Amino acid sequence: MMEQDLDDLLAAARTRAPVPSPALMARILTDAEAEQDRWQTRTALKRRWTRFLPLFLGSVGATAGMATAALAGVWIGYAQPETLTTVTAALWADQRVDLLPTYAFVTE
Amino acid sequence: MTVPLDTLPDIPDEALLVLYANGDRAAARALTLRLTPRVLGFAARMLTDRAEAEDVTQEAMLRLWRIAPEWRQGEAKVTTWLYRVTSNLCTDRLRRRRGVPLDDAPEVEDDAPTAEQDMMQGERMAALDAALARLPDRQRQAVVLRHIEGLTNPDIARIMDIGVEAVESLTARGKRTLAALLSGQRERIGYEEG
Repeated sequence: MMEQDLDDLLAAARTRAPVPSPALMARILTDAEAEQDRWQTRTALKRRWTRFLPLFLGSVGATAGMATAALAGVWIGYAQPETLTTVTAALWADQRVDLLPTYAFVTE
Repeated sequence: MTVPLDTLPDIPDEALLVLYANGDRAAARALTLRLTPRVLGFAARMLTDRAEAEDVTQEAMLRLWRIAPEWRQGEAKVTTWLYRVTSNLCTDRLRRRRGVPLDDAPEVEDDAPTAEQDMMQGERMAALDAALARLPDRQRQAVVLRHIEGLTNPDIARIMDIGVEAVESLTARGKRTLAALLSGQRERIGYEEG
């Protein structure tokens, strides 16, 4: 068989693709619409929840305050605190207390 | 249920898929009308069984509907993605079918008109389908995608997950085998010796 004959045959096959039956098209479209309905239900539930959450917690300002407080709490808990010696060293640097000043003459 | 006509012919597949994901029913209909015949045509040539091809088509389209909300525009063409899914589904079925002799494989339903003047063309198509069915799976896949579905070699490479050179090699070998298989029926299908 000549190559050109085969090319012609393949080109003819392109125009004679099987035609989907109306039943198949209907099944596929039913699937498509069912999937759309499934997400829309899921999205609507999510929207309802996000709409009622601020009402549950108070106003938007209160929600923002709570979020800030929560973040601050996390930060305080996570950050390593400095030891107290840093503070005491700063307060008492180069300061000496003479506990027995009246007996100084003994050592002189 | 009757499926109405594609009312969005100027909108590309990728944009339609976004509309579909946003709940647009017309986009669902347009995509169904556009893509189903292509998927079915490819699956039917791969599987040579109309009923199995319809099952694969419905499954491939269902996967498209499910991926739609997460579809990232610009990353892939919808048709390339769909051919790839169809190709994998067909390969799974062909693997499961291993062990069934080729002669027992059902014939592809012939939708050709039965008028006398089309009989020869019908004979030729039947011979081509039978010859395609005898090709190794990968060669058949490459030949159908390139020469019947009309895809480019880079697109086929993405679908089959191989390089462009491998696609060229598969289509060339596939065509040589087809020509050899059809040569034995030259007279019956009306081709002169050459």
